[in-house]
Amino acid sequence: MARVITITSGKGGVGKTTTTANLGTALAMQGAKVAVIDADIGLRNLDVVMGLENRIVYDLVDVVEGRARLRQALIKDKRLPELCLMPAAQTRDKDAVSPQQMIELTNQLRQEFDFVLIDSPAGIEGGFRNAIAGADEVVIVTTPEVSAVRDADRIVGLVEAAEKGPPHLIVNRIKPRLVSRGEMLSVEDVLELLAINLIGIVPDDEAIVTSTNRGEAVVYDQGSLAGRAFLNVARRLGGEDVPFMAITDQQGVLEWLFGMIGRRRS
Amino acid sequence: MGFFDSMFGRRRDRSAQVAKERLATVLVDDRYKLTPEMKEQMKLDIAEVLARYLPSVDPDQIEVTLMRGEANDHLKADIPLRRASSDM
Repeated sequence: MARVITITSGKGGVGKTTTTANLGTALAMQGAKVAVIDADIGLRNLDVVMGLENRIVYDLVDVVEGRARLRQALIKDKRLPELCLMPAAQTRDKDAVSPQQMIELTNQLRQEFDFVLIDSPAGIEGGFRNAIAGADEVVIVTTPEVSAVRDADRIVGLVEAAEKGPPHLIVNRIKPRLVSRGEMLSVEDVLELLAINLIGIVPDDEAIVTSTNRGEAVVYDQGSLAGRAFLNVARRLGGEDVPFMAITDQQGVLEWLFGMIGRRRS
Repeated sequence: MGFFDSMFGRRRDRSAQVAKERLATVLVDDRYKLTPEMKEQMKLDIAEVLARYLPSVDPDQIEVTLMRGEANDHLKADIPLRRASSDM
């Protein structure tokens, strides 16, 4: 049975597209047939994050409006033949597609894939409604910041109202050093506030910047913490019981002490 | 704030704790669509009802907080009573 999972957040810039690209890649590495859909119509980005921007001929709106067949618009990943991207249209806006058309599109994709991951646009309006219309499950990405957590909570309410079942939470861009100093919300804090099921903890990692620069998924970088974190999320999505990585900062206390002394001098 | 206070960091001074407390309030207020104006009106109404039973409720002293709980959210109202002079 295929699963259609929408990755959303409310607030922009918290890592939805990176999460979609990496979970899609990780699931395909684990042997699943995966389609990732860029539902951010007019602000296409999943293609560049995955390094597939030069291969686009048709897009999601072309399929919905009948100018292209599904297969023509699906772009095969460079490394993983079982991973495909459905790019967003760049020259149209979100009103080019209706929730009903998204449901039909996802139902077509269900025939051929094990997982369909939908990268939602930010916001709570039409684009978001389209992105969740065909979804069985929703993954909410947030960062440990007041604005992102507040918006995530709005999304939790909307997802529950849309009867998509309890959403899963990924807490992204954790800075262990700040958390250990009590200067950043911890995963426990965020969980307590949002009260939803945790599926991933992803530390802030420069490897994301470098891998995105190259258009490669960070899950290929076995040495990166974020890469390992995304691989773990993919395994949990597949039903495995994977313990959460301990996000600790060995140097935290010492550095904090030195930081205090430094600050007192200045 | 003294040196040892800063060394061992009073929790109330840590920004994460401040963020958590602010969020705890704003998330419940968002969910119940409770505006600051409505809260003020609620305090006046609470004082008005209580005045039927107690002579000494000052609406300005009432604190109304919505709190997120495990199973249910809670409305917490802290209503100080001016001590009647006979008790003093």
